Amino acid sequence: MSAVDQPSPLDAAAQARLIGLVAAARDRQAFAALFKHFAPRLKAFHLRAGLSGGAAEELAQETMLMLWRKAESFDPARAGAATWVYTITRNLRIDQARRQRGPAPQLPEEEFSPSPEAITLESEQAARMREALAVLSGEQRRVIELSFFSDTPHAAIAQVLNLPLGTVKSRIRLALVRLRDALGAD
Amino acid sequence: MTITHHPADDTLLRHATGALNAGLALVVEAHLTGCPQCRARVAGFEALGGALMEAEKLEPLAPAAFAEVLARLDEPPPVTTAPHVPRRAMLHLPPGMKLPDVLAGCDIGRWLWFGPGVRYSQVRLPWAPEANVMLLRVAANRGVVTHSHALHELTQILHGGYSDCTGSYGPGDMAEGDELLLHQPRADAEGCLCLAALEGGLRLGGWLGRLQRRLGQ
Repeated sequence: MSAVDQPSPLDAAAQARLIGLVAAARDRQAFAALFKHFAPRLKAFHLRAGLSGGAAEELAQETMLMLWRKAESFDPARAGAATWVYTITRNLRIDQARRQRGPAPQLPEEEFSPSPEAITLESEQAARMREALAVLSGEQRRVIELSFFSDTPHAAIAQVLNLPLGTVKSRIRLALVRLRDALGAD
Repeated sequence: MTITHHPADDTLLRHATGALNAGLALVVEAHLTGCPQCRARVAGFEALGGALMEAEKLEPLAPAAFAEVLARLDEPPPVTTAPHVPRRAMLHLPPGMKLPDVLAGCDIGRWLWFGPGVRYSQVRLPWAPEANVMLLRVAANRGVVTHSHALHELTQILHGGYSDCTGSYGPGDMAEGDELLLHQPRADAEGCLCLAALEGGLRLGGWLGRLQRRLGQ
Protein backbone atom coordinates (compact mmCIF):
# COMPACT_ATOMS: atom_id res chain seq x y z
CA MET A 1 0.00 0.00 0.00
CA SER A 2 1.75 3.15 -1.13
CA ALA A 3 1.41 6.56 0.42
CA VAL A 4 0.14 7.92 -2.89
CA ASP A 5 -2.81 5.50 -3.02
CA GLN A 6 -3.61 6.23 0.58
CA PRO A 7 -4.26 9.93 1.06
CA SER A 8 -5.57 9.17 4.54
CA PRO A 9 -2.76 8.84 7.03
CA LEU A 10 -4.80 6.35 9.07
CA ASP A 11 -6.29 3.25 7.52
CA ALA A 12 -9.35 1.57 9.00
CA ALA A 13 -7.34 -0.94 11.03
CA ALA A 14 -5.20 1.83 12.55
CA GLN A 15 -8.32 3.84 13.41
CA ALA A 16 -9.85 0.84 15.18
CA ARG A 17 -6.63 0.15 17.06
CA LEU A 18 -6.39 3.77 18.26
CA ILE A 19 -10.01 3.84 19.41
CA GLY A 20 -9.25 0.62 21.30
CA LEU A 21 -6.33 2.40 23.02
CA VAL A 22 -8.57 5.30 24.03
CA ALA A 23 -11.11 2.83 25.43
CA ALA A 24 -8.59 0.68 27.28
CA ALA A 25 -6.08 3.24 28.53
CA ARG A 26 -7.49 6.75 27.99
CA ASP A 27 -4.51 7.17 25.69
CA ARG A 28 -4.22 10.86 24.78
CA GLN A 29 -1.65 10.30 22.07
CA ALA A 30 -4.01 7.91 20.35
CA PHE A 31 -6.77 10.50 20.74
CA ALA A 32 -4.53 13.19 19.21
CA ALA A 33 -3.95 11.02 16.15
CA LEU A 34 -7.69 10.34 15.84
CA PHE A 35 -8.44 14.05 16.22
CA LYS A 36 -5.95 14.93 13.51
CA HIS A 37 -7.55 12.43 11.19
CA PHE A 38 -11.26 12.82 11.86
CA ALA A 39 -11.85 16.40 13.02
CA PRO A 40 -10.99 18.14 9.71
CA ARG A 41 -13.08 15.59 7.78
CA LEU A 42 -16.01 16.01 10.15
CA LYS A 43 -15.86 19.77 9.74
CA ALA A 44 -15.76 19.46 5.93
CA PHE A 45 -18.65 16.97 6.04
CA HIS A 46 -20.88 19.32 8.04
CA LEU A 47 -19.88 22.36 5.99
CA ARG A 48 -21.00 20.49 2.92
CA ALA A 49 -24.26 19.62 4.67
CA GLY A 50 -24.93 23.34 4.90
CA LEU A 51 -23.84 24.19 8.42
CA SER A 52 -22.01 27.47 9.04
CA GLY A 53 -18.27 27.36 9.69
CA GLY A 54 -18.82 27.88 13.40
CA ALA A 55 -21.51 25.21 13.70
CA ALA A 56 -19.49 22.70 11.66
CA GLU A 57 -16.45 23.33 13.82
CA GLU A 58 -18.46 22.91 17.01
CA LEU A 59 -20.06 19.69 15.81
CA ALA A 60 -16.62 18.33 14.83
CA GLN A 61 -15.33 19.11 18.33
CA GLU A 62 -18.40 17.65 20.06
CA THR A 63 -18.07 14.49 17.96
CA MET A 64 -14.45 14.05 19.02
CA LEU A 65 -15.40 14.59 22.66
CA MET A 66 -18.12 11.97 22.31
CA LEU A 67 -15.60 9.60 20.68
CA TRP A 68 -13.46 9.98 23.82
CA ARG A 69 -16.41 9.31 26.14
CA LYS A 70 -17.95 6.45 24.20
CA ALA A 71 -14.80 4.70 22.98
CA GLU A 72 -15.72 1.61 25.04
CA SER A 73 -18.88 1.12 23.02
CA PHE A 74 -16.98 0.88 19.71
CA ASP A 75 -17.20 -2.68 18.46
CA PRO A 76 -15.09 -3.29 15.34
CA ALA A 77 -17.07 -6.46 14.68
CA ARG A 78 -20.20 -4.38 14.10
CA ALA A 79 -18.96 -1.35 12.22
CA GLY A 80 -15.78 0.22 10.91
CA ALA A 81 -14.28 3.14 12.80
CA ALA A 82 -15.31 5.74 10.20
CA THR A 83 -18.84 4.33 10.18
CA TRP A 84 -19.00 4.50 13.97
CA VAL A 85 -17.74 8.11 13.97
CA TYR A 86 -20.30 8.91 11.27
CA THR A 87 -23.15 7.57 13.44
CA ILE A 88 -21.92 9.61 16.43
CA THR A 89 -21.86 12.83 14.46
CA ARG A 90 -25.21 12.07 12.80
CA ASN A 91 -26.83 11.49 16.19
CA LEU A 92 -25.36 14.70 17.58
CA ARG A 93 -26.74 16.60 14.62
CA ILE A 94 -30.21 15.05 15.09
CA ASP A 95 -30.09 15.94 18.79
CA GLN A 96 -29.09 19.48 18.01
CA ALA A 97 -31.83 19.86 15.43
CA ARG A 98 -34.45 18.60 17.83
CA ARG A 99 -33.20 20.54 20.84
CA GLN A 100 -34.24 17.35 22.47
CA ARG A 101 -35.97 17.38 25.81
CA GLY A 102 -35.34 13.78 26.70
CA PRO A 103 -33.09 10.94 25.70
CA ALA A 104 -33.93 9.19 22.46
CA PRO A 105 -34.58 5.47 22.75
CA GLN A 106 -31.47 3.45 22.19
CA LEU A 107 -31.18 -0.14 21.23
CA PRO A 108 -29.17 -2.09 23.78
CA GLU A 109 -25.51 -2.09 22.91
CA GLU A 110 -23.97 -5.48 22.45
CA GLU A 111 -20.81 -6.37 24.28
CA PHE A 112 -17.50 -4.96 23.19
CA SER A 113 -15.64 -7.87 21.61
CA PRO A 114 -12.93 -6.72 19.23
CA SER A 115 -10.92 -9.26 17.35
CA PRO A 116 -8.20 -8.83 14.72
CA GLU A 117 -10.33 -10.80 12.27
CA ALA A 118 -13.24 -8.45 12.74
CA ILE A 119 -11.00 -5.45 12.20
CA THR A 120 -9.67 -6.96 8.99
CA LEU A 121 -13.21 -7.66 7.80
CA GLU A 122 -14.22 -4.11 8.48
CA SER A 123 -11.20 -2.74 6.63
CA GLU A 124 -12.23 -4.84 3.67
CA GLN A 125 -15.77 -3.51 3.84
CA ALA A 126 -14.48 0.07 3.91
CA ALA A 127 -12.32 -0.66 0.87
CA ARG A 128 -15.28 -2.23 -0.96
CA MET A 129 -17.34 0.85 -0.15
CA ARG A 130 -14.70 3.17 -1.64
CA GLU A 131 -14.57 1.02 -4.77
CA ALA A 132 -18.35 1.01 -5.03
CA LEU A 133 -18.47 4.79 -4.78
CA ALA A 134 -15.91 4.96 -7.57
CA VAL A 135 -18.15 3.02 -10.00
CA LEU A 136 -21.04 5.46 -9.65
CA SER A 137 -21.51 7.95 -12.41
CA GLY A 138 -20.97 11.58 -11.53
CA GLU A 139 -24.66 12.34 -11.27
CA GLN A 140 -25.39 9.19 -9.25
CA ARG A 141 -22.63 10.03 -6.82
CA ARG A 142 -24.02 13.55 -6.58
CA VAL A 143 -27.51 12.41 -5.52
CA ILE A 144 -26.06 9.97 -2.99
CA GLU A 145 -23.83 12.66 -1.54
CA LEU A 146 -26.72 15.07 -1.36
CA SER A 147 -28.77 12.41 0.43
CA PHE A 148 -26.19 12.57 3.19
CA PHE A 149 -25.68 16.30 3.02
CA SER A 150 -29.18 17.71 3.24
CA ASP A 151 -31.86 17.41 5.88
CA THR A 152 -34.80 16.85 3.58
CA PRO A 153 -32.89 14.97 0.93
CA HIS A 154 -35.26 14.41 -1.93
CA ALA A 155 -36.97 17.75 -2.02
CA ALA A 156 -33.73 19.61 -1.31
CA ILE A 157 -31.84 17.62 -3.93
CA ALA A 158 -34.50 18.31 -6.51
CA GLN A 159 -34.19 22.00 -5.73
CA VAL A 160 -30.40 22.08 -5.80
CA LEU A 161 -30.16 20.14 -9.07
CA ASN A 162 -33.21 21.82 -10.53
CA LEU A 163 -34.73 18.44 -11.40
CA PRO A 164 -38.23 17.02 -10.93
CA LEU A 165 -38.61 15.07 -7.67
CA GLY A 166 -39.40 11.87 -9.61
CA THR A 167 -36.10 12.08 -11.50
CA VAL A 168 -34.18 12.51 -8.27
CA LYS A 169 -35.93 9.52 -6.71
CA SER A 170 -35.20 7.27 -9.67
CA ARG A 171 -31.56 8.42 -9.77
CA ILE A 172 -31.17 7.54 -6.11
CA ARG A 173 -32.79 4.18 -6.73
CA LEU A 174 -30.40 3.45 -9.63
CA ALA A 175 -27.39 4.52 -7.59
CA LEU A 176 -28.50 2.27 -4.73
CA VAL A 177 -28.84 -0.69 -7.09
CA ARG A 178 -25.24 -0.15 -8.21
CA LEU A 179 -24.12 0.04 -4.59
CA ARG A 180 -26.06 -3.06 -3.59
CA ASP A 181 -23.12 -5.47 -3.81
CA ALA A 182 -20.90 -3.33 -1.63
CA LEU A 183 -23.66 -2.75 0.88
CA GLY A 184 -23.96 -6.45 1.65
CA ALA A 185 -27.24 -8.06 2.71
CA ASP A 186 -29.38 -9.95 0.27
CA MET B 1 -42.31 -14.54 12.28
CA THR B 2 -41.69 -14.19 8.57
CA ILE B 3 -41.30 -10.66 7.36
CA THR B 4 -42.39 -10.14 3.79
CA HIS B 5 -42.84 -6.36 3.60
CA HIS B 6 -39.85 -4.14 4.32
CA PRO B 7 -39.28 -0.39 4.25
CA ALA B 8 -38.12 0.92 0.87
CA ASP B 9 -34.40 1.49 0.36
CA ASP B 10 -35.08 5.24 0.16
CA THR B 11 -36.62 5.12 3.61
CA LEU B 12 -33.76 3.12 5.12
CA LEU B 13 -31.26 5.49 3.50
CA ARG B 14 -33.05 8.51 4.94
CA HIS B 15 -33.08 6.80 8.33
CA ALA B 16 -29.32 6.22 8.11
CA THR B 17 -28.70 9.86 7.20
CA GLY B 18 -30.86 11.14 10.06
CA ALA B 19 -33.31 12.82 7.69
CA LEU B 20 -36.51 11.09 8.84
CA ASN B 21 -38.58 12.99 11.36
CA ALA B 22 -38.66 11.61 14.89
CA GLY B 23 -41.99 9.80 14.43
CA LEU B 24 -41.05 8.01 11.21
CA ALA B 25 -37.64 7.17 12.68
CA LEU B 26 -39.32 5.56 15.71
CA VAL B 27 -41.49 3.33 13.51
CA VAL B 28 -38.46 2.35 11.41
CA GLU B 29 -36.64 1.47 14.65
CA ALA B 30 -39.58 -0.73 15.64
CA HIS B 31 -39.18 -2.57 12.34
CA LEU B 32 -35.39 -2.84 12.62
CA THR B 33 -35.64 -4.46 16.05
CA GLY B 34 -37.27 -7.49 14.45
CA CYS B 35 -35.61 -7.45 11.03
CA PRO B 36 -31.92 -8.44 10.71
CA GLN B 37 -32.09 -7.95 6.95
CA CYS B 38 -33.04 -4.26 7.22
CA ARG B 39 -30.57 -3.75 10.08
CA ALA B 40 -27.81 -4.98 7.74
CA ARG B 41 -29.07 -2.63 5.06
CA VAL B 42 -29.02 0.37 7.39
CA ALA B 43 -25.54 -0.65 8.56
CA GLY B 44 -24.50 -0.63 4.89
CA PHE B 45 -25.87 2.89 4.42
CA GLU B 46 -24.10 4.03 7.57
CA ALA B 47 -20.89 2.55 6.16
CA LEU B 48 -21.58 4.63 3.07
CA GLY B 49 -21.83 7.71 5.29
CA GLY B 50 -18.52 6.74 6.91
CA ALA B 51 -16.91 6.28 3.49
CA LEU B 52 -18.17 9.68 2.30
CA MET B 53 -16.82 11.33 5.43
CA GLU B 54 -13.46 9.57 4.95
CA ALA B 55 -13.35 10.85 1.38
CA GLU B 56 -13.81 14.48 2.47
CA LYS B 57 -11.04 16.94 1.93
CA LEU B 58 -9.49 18.29 5.12
CA GLU B 59 -11.08 21.45 6.47
CA PRO B 60 -8.70 22.93 9.04
CA LEU B 61 -10.11 23.65 12.47
CA ALA B 62 -9.38 26.78 14.49
CA PRO B 63 -5.80 26.65 15.84
CA ALA B 64 -7.02 26.31 19.43
CA ALA B 65 -9.59 23.59 18.66
CA PHE B 66 -7.53 20.62 19.77
CA ALA B 67 -6.42 22.33 23.00
CA GLU B 68 -10.05 23.22 23.74
CA VAL B 69 -11.19 19.63 23.33
CA LEU B 70 -8.23 18.32 25.34
CA ALA B 71 -9.18 20.65 28.18
CA ARG B 72 -12.67 19.18 28.21
CA LEU B 73 -11.71 15.49 28.20
CA ASP B 74 -11.79 15.21 31.99
CA GLU B 75 -15.04 17.10 32.38
CA PRO B 76 -17.81 14.87 33.64
CA PRO B 77 -20.38 14.21 30.90
CA PRO B 78 -23.25 16.69 31.04
CA VAL B 79 -25.83 15.82 33.67
CA THR B 80 -28.87 14.46 31.94
CA THR B 81 -32.13 15.87 33.18
CA ALA B 82 -34.33 13.59 35.25
CA PRO B 83 -35.66 10.87 32.96
CA HIS B 84 -39.17 11.36 31.73
CA VAL B 85 -41.62 9.05 33.49
CA PRO B 86 -43.93 7.92 30.72
CA ARG B 87 -47.66 8.19 31.23
CA ARG B 88 -49.34 5.16 29.79
CA ALA B 89 -53.00 4.29 29.59
CA MET B 90 -54.18 0.74 30.18
CA LEU B 91 -54.56 -0.50 26.64
CA HIS B 92 -55.80 -4.06 27.22
CA LEU B 93 -53.59 -5.47 24.51
CA PRO B 94 -54.34 -8.84 22.93
CA PRO B 95 -53.10 -11.71 25.15
CA GLY B 96 -49.37 -12.33 24.74
CA MET B 97 -48.79 -9.09 22.88
CA LYS B 98 -46.08 -6.70 24.01
CA LEU B 99 -45.48 -3.17 22.79
CA PRO B 100 -42.13 -2.66 21.03
CA ASP B 101 -39.20 -1.61 23.24
CA VAL B 102 -38.74 1.59 21.24
CA LEU B 103 -41.94 2.92 22.85
CA ALA B 104 -40.43 2.59 26.34
CA GLY B 105 -39.94 6.35 26.86
CA CYS B 106 -43.20 7.45 25.21
CA ASP B 107 -46.51 8.60 26.65
CA ILE B 108 -49.33 6.43 25.36
CA GLY B 109 -52.92 7.61 25.43
CA ARG B 110 -56.09 5.59 25.88
CA TRP B 111 -57.98 4.11 22.94
CA LEU B 112 -60.21 6.64 21.26
CA TRP B 113 -63.03 5.86 18.91
CA PHE B 114 -62.15 6.63 15.37
CA GLY B 115 -64.78 4.93 13.30
CA PRO B 116 -66.69 1.66 13.29
CA GLY B 117 -64.25 -1.01 14.47
CA VAL B 118 -61.32 1.43 14.42
CA ARG B 119 -59.60 2.92 17.48
CA TYR B 120 -56.43 4.88 17.90
CA SER B 121 -54.18 5.81 20.78
CA GLN B 122 -51.91 8.79 20.55
CA VAL B 123 -48.21 8.21 21.19
CA ARG B 124 -46.24 11.20 22.41
CA LEU B 125 -42.46 11.32 22.09
CA PRO B 126 -41.11 13.47 24.94
CA TRP B 127 -38.03 14.30 22.84
CA ALA B 128 -40.18 15.34 19.86
CA PRO B 129 -43.66 16.38 21.04
CA GLU B 130 -44.62 17.53 17.55
CA ALA B 131 -44.24 14.02 16.10
CA ASN B 132 -47.42 12.45 14.81
CA VAL B 133 -47.39 8.83 16.00
CA MET B 134 -50.23 6.54 17.00
CA LEU B 135 -51.24 3.02 17.72
CA LEU B 136 -54.10 1.94 15.49
CA ARG B 137 -56.39 -0.98 16.16
CA VAL B 138 -58.85 -2.43 13.69
CA ALA B 139 -61.32 -5.06 14.91
CA ALA B 140 -61.37 -8.58 13.47
CA ASN B 141 -62.53 -8.81 9.87
CA ARG B 142 -63.30 -5.12 9.76
CA GLY B 143 -62.58 -3.09 6.68
CA VAL B 144 -61.43 0.48 6.68
CA VAL B 145 -63.09 2.67 4.08
CA THR B 146 -61.11 3.41 0.95
CA HIS B 147 -58.64 6.18 1.60
CA SER B 148 -55.46 7.69 0.32
CA HIS B 149 -52.52 9.24 2.12
CA ALA B 150 -51.45 12.85 1.99
CA LEU B 151 -47.80 12.36 2.86
CA HIS B 152 -45.25 9.70 3.61
CA GLU B 153 -46.72 7.32 6.17
CA LEU B 154 -45.14 4.26 7.79
CA THR B 155 -47.09 1.49 9.50
CA GLN B 156 -45.46 -1.34 11.42
CA ILE B 157 -47.73 -4.33 12.11
CA LEU B 158 -47.48 -5.38 15.77
CA HIS B 159 -50.23 -7.96 16.04
CA GLY B 160 -52.71 -9.67 13.72
CA GLY B 161 -52.67 -8.35 10.20
CA TYR B 162 -54.57 -6.98 7.24
CA SER B 163 -54.82 -7.30 3.50
CA ASP B 164 -55.30 -4.74 0.78
CA CYS B 165 -54.61 -4.38 -2.94
CA THR B 166 -50.83 -4.41 -2.25
CA GLY B 167 -50.79 -7.71 -0.36
CA SER B 168 -51.16 -9.30 3.06
CA TYR B 169 -49.40 -7.82 6.06
CA GLY B 170 -48.58 -9.65 9.29
CA PRO B 171 -46.59 -9.04 12.48
CA GLY B 172 -43.15 -7.57 11.72
CA ASP B 173 -44.18 -6.25 8.31
CA MET B 174 -44.00 -2.59 7.43
CA ALA B 175 -46.38 -0.85 5.06
CA GLU B 176 -45.49 2.41 3.37
CA GLY B 177 -48.10 4.75 2.02
CA ASP B 178 -47.98 8.02 0.16
CA GLU B 179 -50.23 10.18 -1.95
CA LEU B 180 -50.25 7.55 -4.70
CA LEU B 181 -51.63 4.72 -2.58
CA LEU B 182 -55.38 4.39 -2.54
CA HIS B 183 -56.41 1.34 -0.58
CA GLN B 184 -59.11 -0.37 1.41
CA PRO B 185 -57.43 -2.47 4.11
CA ARG B 186 -59.34 -5.33 5.72
CA ALA B 187 -58.20 -6.74 9.06
CA ASP B 188 -57.58 -10.47 9.54
CA ALA B 189 -59.62 -12.73 11.83
CA GLU B 190 -57.36 -11.67 14.71
CA GLY B 191 -57.84 -8.00 14.00
CA CYS B 192 -54.89 -5.72 13.43
CA LEU B 193 -52.83 -3.62 15.77
CA CYS B 194 -50.12 -1.39 14.34
CA LEU B 195 -47.84 1.53 15.03
CA ALA B 196 -48.07 4.34 12.51
CA ALA B 197 -46.34 7.65 11.90
CA LEU B 198 -46.85 10.43 9.41
CA GLU B 199 -44.53 12.90 7.84
CA GLY B 200 -45.11 16.42 9.06
CA GLY B 201 -46.36 17.66 12.38
CA LEU B 202 -50.06 17.76 11.59
CA ARG B 203 -52.45 16.37 14.13
CA LEU B 204 -55.33 14.50 12.65
CA GLY B 205 -54.48 16.04 9.35
CA GLY B 206 -53.55 14.05 6.29
CA TRP B 207 -55.24 10.76 5.69
CA LEU B 208 -56.60 10.49 9.22
CA GLY B 209 -58.41 13.76 8.84
CA ARG B 210 -59.79 12.77 5.50
CA LEU B 211 -60.72 9.35 6.81
CA GLN B 212 -62.52 10.97 9.68
CA ARG B 213 -64.39 13.33 7.40
CA ARG B 214 -65.45 10.46 5.18
CA LEU B 215 -66.63 8.45 8.16
CA GLY B 216 -68.63 11.45 9.28
CA GLN B 217 -70.45 11.64 5.97
